[in-house]
Amino acid sequence: MSTPKMARIGSPGRPAAFALAALLIVGAFAVNAFAPFVVVGIYTYFCVTLMMVLGLQMFMGNSGILNWTYIGFVGIGAYAASILSTAPALKSMGVPNMYPALVALQIPVVPALLIGGVVAAVIAAILAWPLMRLSDAVGVITLFAMLIVFHVIMTQWDNVTNGPRTFFGVQAFTTIWMATGAAVITLLGAYFFRESSLGLRLRASRDDRHAAKAMGINVVGVRYLTFVLSSFVAGVAGGLWAHYITSFSPKSFYVGEMFVLLTMLVIGGAGSISGATLGALLVTVMREGLRQLEGYLNNSGVINFEVYGLTELTMAVLLVTILIVRPAGIVGGQEFRFPRIGGKRKPAEAADSDES
Amino acid sequence: MLTVKDLYASYGAINALHGISLEVNEGELVALLGTNGAGKSTTLKSICGVLRPQGGSVEFLGEDLIGKKPEAILKKGISLVPEGREIFTSLSVAENLRIGAFSCYERDRYRYDLEEMFALFPILEERLQQPGGLLSGGEQQMLAIARALMSHPKLLMLDEPSLGLSPTMVDQIFDLIATLRDRGTTILLVEQNAERALRVADRAYVLKTGSMEFSGTPAELESELDIASVYFGGTKDGSGEVTV
Amino acid sequence: MIGSEFIINTLSLGSLYALIALGLVFVYGILKLVNFAYGEYLMVAGYTLYVLGTFTPIPWWLTMILAVALAAFVSYLTELIAFRPVRTKSLDAMLVTSFAVSVLLQNAALLFVSPRSRAVPFPPAFSESVTVFGATTPVRNILTIVTTVILLVALTLLMKYTVLGIAMRAAADKFTTTRLMGVPANLVISVAFILSGLLAGVVSIFWVGRSASVDPLIGFAPLLIAFIATVIGGMHSLQGAVVGGYVYGLLFNALSIMLPASLINYRDAFMFAIVILFLLLRPEGLIRGGYTEERVG
Repeated sequence: MSTPKMARIGSPGRPAAFALAALLIVGAFAVNAFAPFVVVGIYTYFCVTLMMVLGLQMFMGNSGILNWTYIGFVGIGAYAASILSTAPALKSMGVPNMYPALVALQIPVVPALLIGGVVAAVIAAILAWPLMRLSDAVGVITLFAMLIVFHVIMTQWDNVTNGPRTFFGVQAFTTIWMATGAAVITLLGAYFFRESSLGLRLRASRDDRHAAKAMGINVVGVRYLTFVLSSFVAGVAGGLWAHYITSFSPKSFYVGEMFVLLTMLVIGGAGSISGATLGALLVTVMREGLRQLEGYLNNSGVINFEVYGLTELTMAVLLVTILIVRPAGIVGGQEFRFPRIGGKRKPAEAADSDES
Repeated sequence: MLTVKDLYASYGAINALHGISLEVNEGELVALLGTNGAGKSTTLKSICGVLRPQGGSVEFLGEDLIGKKPEAILKKGISLVPEGREIFTSLSVAENLRIGAFSCYERDRYRYDLEEMFALFPILEERLQQPGGLLSGGEQQMLAIARALMSHPKLLMLDEPSLGLSPTMVDQIFDLIATLRDRGTTILLVEQNAERALRVADRAYVLKTGSMEFSGTPAELESELDIASVYFGGTKDGSGEVTV
Repeated sequence: MIGSEFIINTLSLGSLYALIALGLVFVYGILKLVNFAYGEYLMVAGYTLYVLGTFTPIPWWLTMILAVALAAFVSYLTELIAFRPVRTKSLDAMLVTSFAVSVLLQNAALLFVSPRSRAVPFPPAFSESVTVFGATTPVRNILTIVTTVILLVALTLLMKYTVLGIAMRAAADKFTTTRLMGVPANLVISVAFILSGLLAGVVSIFWVGRSASVDPLIGFAPLLIAFIATVIGGMHSLQGAVVGGYVYGLLFNALSIMLPASLINYRDAFMFAIVILFLLLRPEGLIRGGYTEERVG
């Protein structure tokens, strides 16, 4: 009886995608011209984060699979690009145990960023093939387990990553223009991907895996390609991020940061580019605001204990509220009509009489 | 007893029911016939609360059922024997029956009901401790019906009880349905096997792609409409045996 | 030769892991939800032990009962407030919700207690050593084994011989059909969460007992253990979870002994690599359950 709810054909969201890209550019000019230095930094950070979220959206939003490992690929890109672009002298000081061959390497930042993306994509390509066959609970647990494996390796392999300690000395290369440019390219790329034949096939497989298979879609193959592509974006974004923040440690590529990306994606609406963008913007603003508040509370002595976790707590409450009230995200019903993240269920078949 | 009026239902974008109405009176056996995809199961699912219809009303004993949970609708006295039998395969036969009696359990009555079920379905007594999944198709169908009867339904709805069963088993199941009817159980029977269903039914409805095409007694149905047309969409003089 | 100490340690660790895994599978079996907030129920019990043990004169045994009860209650609350409203939506919405609930509870502990770990008082008898079958081991380990056996027997009786237990097994098998039999959906789901929280609470006593301290992130490691154990044993049956717990306990102890010192820090990575391999080779786990993959709507 179940009838597949196929992805909508056509490209109703094109004006929106271009409008968003234009807005990002205008925003960068405005911020650069009028806003204080701090805001320029926040905007740069926002654009890099947006790139990460869009990369996540490419896979998760279109396939409906919760990709925990994503932040791990961001980390791989960050480490790879940083190792490649940082001067040998700085590396031997910052990462005392690094393999000599790695210490000697140095290339310009832009190729380093791209290679960072390629490294992430290659690792994804090696690991992902068998994983894409798994679905539901087993898939979720495997991807989560992979994130842990990545994290353990990052924290233990001190010949490469400096272990759990901070990796520092990375060039401050990522400017507001670099970041905005990367975000705009990713945004348009993610949009065209969504509307491409690959994206359509992926969305069809999300809506009804078996029907998609029956129509001759190679579900595993489509997922695999997208996973690799999304990991490439993650890797490049990781490199850009590293060259903005200049020092980092493995904990930036773990469950906590994944939660932030996930919140951004889900709050806005994982199924659409505009949702992902809006979510990234909202969470960035909120996060900055809450951080200021936390700092203020801790310094002013208004309360007599140190405030920790207020930001995450608020984000979690917001996320749960959104999921309850509007599970498709804020943008949900707009021109990029967002389907649910999961979408596998048969729409009417579920005694919605549960609300009691 | 049961009055369905102008029921609309859909799966996603596909409309499954376009405003169908039907009625079941107390003590009747009503057959709901139609081809695959005509909307028979959808109708039953809408009545028992598994699916929420887009429009229309379902009234049972003067009470509106729309929006009620499946478990609440069972308590009102409607029990469904689902398509495909839906036996709890990892539970024993006894446990399946025990769950059937979930809503109205009283120790003595339960014992008594069990004896009654064993009288109707002797095979179940033999298989009492076996997992439901190990029963044959016919045995599973009997278990499904027995399980549904354990809740003392005022209206029993059967969804394709003969589907996938051997001819002898089909005979047994229809004999059983006739027995239940004779005992005064009100039944709404959904079947593709129109011939057999019409033999036991007091009245019949024919659904075609989500709309009600006919309602009346089996005799009227036979005279007005070639049964084959129900299946093949042919005209009255259209040839073709009625196959199942 | 395998020493009796190794056997006792493995049994005790395996028992603990079996309970941890079981608590996760109770909810998974019915809702098909991998509950990321599961570890936080354990944290709640840990903080209850800390607060009641440190600031009140309540005797330790009552403290433990209250801790377990509170974990069960918080588990029920998360179901009521967060999971129930999203249940009819999509599986991924529920998954993200569970992750958010986990983050929420962790950060509530960070904010309202402290990011630093707190010492939890335990009766001294808990960590005294005893000699059993020639092996010297803390009383706690023996208690873990005994408690696990008692709980497993009790749960088996519950699931096999009570209507509620039968209904829960039926719901794990075919959820919608179970509702058609008049079993209220909310009842079985709530009971599953309560049992899950209850097990997390009991686990907490022994888990926290090992380090005698509690911190906001204490739930993470048990959550991972539950993942690994259920994957090894199979997500689809309660027996699978128990078997997986013991197998994981054995694997963990064996790896700890066998891995050379230079690789011991990679133990977790090895564990997860084994899990991933295992998943690829045998996605249904050691024990194939009868549960279907039907989604709850």
